[in-house]
Amino acid sequence: MFRTLMIASAFALAVPSVALAQDHGAHDHAAHDHGAHEMVGVEIPDQDDIREALAAGGSYVGVEVLGVVCDFCATAMNRTFSRRDEVAAVYVDLDTKTMSLVLKEGQNLDDATIGDLVERAGYKVSTITRPDLTEANDAS
Amino acid sequence: MARRMSAVAALGLSLATWIVAPALARPVSYQGGWTVIEETNRQNTSVWVHYTLNPKLSLGARGEWDRPMDVMFTGGQATYLVNRWFGENYQGNLYAFAGAGVAEGINDNPADAEFASFAGVMADWETRRWFVSYTARGFDAGDIDASFAHRGKVGVAPYVGNTGDLHTWLMVEVDHRPDNEAPVGVTPMVRLFKGAALVELGWSVTDDQPLINFAYRF
Repeated sequence: MFRTLMIASAFALAVPSVALAQDHGAHDHAAHDHGAHEMVGVEIPDQDDIREALAAGGSYVGVEVLGVVCDFCATAMNRTFSRRDEVAAVYVDLDTKTMSLVLKEGQNLDDATIGDLVERAGYKVSTITRPDLTEANDAS
Repeated sequence: MARRMSAVAALGLSLATWIVAPALARPVSYQGGWTVIEETNRQNTSVWVHYTLNPKLSLGARGEWDRPMDVMFTGGQATYLVNRWFGENYQGNLYAFAGAGVAEGINDNPADAEFASFAGVMADWETRRWFVSYTARGFDAGDIDASFAHRGKVGVAPYVGNTGDLHTWLMVEVDHRPDNEAPVGVTPMVRLFKGAALVELGWSVTDDQPLINFAYRF
């Protein structure tokens, strides 16, 4: 009886999770204006805290990271960078393998420090991009 | 005399069948991170709490109950990340671990407390679609017994989720405990994780026992 319940529970949890995940790709990008950010060749993640931090005057840093293959990896970097006073928002995208950082207005983290923090999280930096979003915002 | 010998033999047999292995998820976390892991398999139930001092080393406290033999191990464990291989789409890890503590009989097992220690290696390789791992451990309980056990696990993700999604894996674990009555165990399972929490639910088809694992990364 218990074995039957265990097996049934396991499949009951697995099936809806597959169904939910298949809806994940249906995100409607048309409702969001990515034009300004795409002009500088950077895909800014559509996350509330990232948008709010940028709107508050923060500066964006894109960090491509090697070895980010699971949500635990994302959690590690999220927790490591969230603790920094310089950081207003952080988001790790497993699809693009990019960590998006928004630094508070007037604050900075140099590339060496970012690389060190990524290593403390257990990973390795591939590239760091610091696009000037003010140009794109002015043009739009 | 005979009772003492049978108690020693019972303790030795139970210690020999243990797999005191690193956690199902990240035995070394990010620097400054705490992780709590509970594992229940066809033989043991354990709780392990560890703290990561730096990206290479975690230290923790472990308690393990061998259910059939009613033997409890309590002690510490250190886990060292020997190497991590990075690729754009994959990650591989090699860990070494060791620990020491006390093992003793509980409930109906009269075995006295004995010093116990263990050491082993764990390796894993994963992409966002495939997972494979291997763990081997040697256990020594002084004059009582010494043993070796190992296990391998393979898994596939039926879909690939992004950050914050509910991730699902279908996995099978095969373990080999040479001194056990049933040396080989086969346990299919479902792994679910979201954010910092991970759950594995399975059933040992060889032993008719549940597998229930949980991990949370603070």
